[in-house]
Amino acid sequence: MRYSAQRARVSPAGPFLRNRINANPLAQLSEGQSKPVFRVPFLIAIALTIAFGGGIWSTLVALDATIGFGAIKLGSWEAFPEAQTAQADPYAKSHRASAGKLIYASAEGLAFIASVDQAGERLTGNCSYRLTGHTPPARFWTLFAAAPGAAPPSAQSDLPTALNSRIVLRNGGSDGGFDIAISATAKPGNWLAVSTPGVFRLTLTLFDTPTAGSSGLIDLTMPRIEKTGCGNV
Amino acid sequence: MSRSLGFGSPRFRRLGFKRLRARGLGLRSGDFASQKAGSRGFALKVLLAVVTGLVGAALLHLIIVLALPDFSERDAYTRVLAEGEIYRFYRLGEKPDRAGLAKDDPFVDAAVCAFDISEGPVRLAAANGGVPFWSLGVYDQSSNEVFSINDRTSSGGVLDVVIASPMQLTALRKALPQAVSQSILVEAREAEGYVVLRSLVPQPSFAGIVSQFLNQATCAPFEWRSRSRF
Repeated sequence: MRYSAQRARVSPAGPFLRNRINANPLAQLSEGQSKPVFRVPFLIAIALTIAFGGGIWSTLVALDATIGFGAIKLGSWEAFPEAQTAQADPYAKSHRASAGKLIYASAEGLAFIASVDQAGERLTGNCSYRLTGHTPPARFWTLFAAAPGAAPPSAQSDLPTALNSRIVLRNGGSDGGFDIAISATAKPGNWLAVSTPGVFRLTLTLFDTPTAGSSGLIDLTMPRIEKTGCGNV
Repeated sequence: MSRSLGFGSPRFRRLGFKRLRARGLGLRSGDFASQKAGSRGFALKVLLAVVTGLVGAALLHLIIVLALPDFSERDAYTRVLAEGEIYRFYRLGEKPDRAGLAKDDPFVDAAVCAFDISEGPVRLAAANGGVPFWSLGVYDQSSNEVFSINDRTSSGGVLDVVIASPMQLTALRKALPQAVSQSILVEAREAEGYVVLRSLVPQPSFAGIVSQFLNQATCAPFEWRSRSRF
């Protein structure tokens, strides 16, 4: 079956081969099978498919997966203080060119994004979390949850889908920290309502913060995200 | 060195395909053996094609990543230009508008304005009626930050910024008009760009005052005639 198919494919080149090689038909056939008559276009097609398909696919994945290099990582929080500058790496420039977002400039603010909790597990709407601690020094901060790639929640929402430093309740003690419950169901105290059932990301934006320009970023502490339970608890 | 190591070099070909082919001819014990040898040679070629494809993919990846900022139709500057005429602020809503721009934060109201300083400087001004916070970011057409300021770093909490090219700035400093004597002068190397003016609405009661601040903010070419012509 396979042999006859190959023979049929080789046959158009038969006269050409016969002129060059005057051996017996069997040898001629075996020579013809390894001659790259119809295999060369096939090989070129493989190479081109891999080159274009792989090149475009890997670029799309790379630009979708990360904002670039040069991230500050504080616990589960991640920020890109240089993404809007001319010093940004080519991936960051390419990402911002295709995303088309208006990024905060250095005197404006810095957005930290968390997609995992303190244990490194993805944040999902089925579970409840506690956000405790302090933010780095800033005049103002906002916090909201949104699905990856989705629009931020509306400020006019009936549920507290977004919080900021002016409306959050502080701890009674002297530390001035906060304790926010992040859950789909209502919680006492500070409650950040999560409306997405699937995975979500927390965005904590610091406004007018020295974090955006300072170099001593290692000593900064961001609030901890701890899982308190999953399901209807 | 490189010649002997290259995939397409004569030695490689001699080692790989020619020998396989020769063995297929030399054995001649039947079709099966020659087919087997031929398929081994073919497998090697497929492997070569795959490796070539992977190298091409890596090259293409680099080319796309490096060239995308220059060819993107979705970057922030193109979107700001798509809002409408330049030299005026456009408020952003919660839903993406036809240019594809939207608010990034529920508590932050923003307005964008595209400018072109090739003819003359641009002046950004807004009186502060008591907004809790405002910030301004100036970007060039590649979305690189040129300058940024907020209400604490401005003079008296009032937005008053003049964006000019280095040449215009030199002429402007020579005879500073009274109107811009209190302004912050910003040097922009690129003639085209955009600005983003943001203000905070921490509670719904601030919405009116912030709305007024953003609506009356101006982004207009600065009418200025230099007395000393040169």
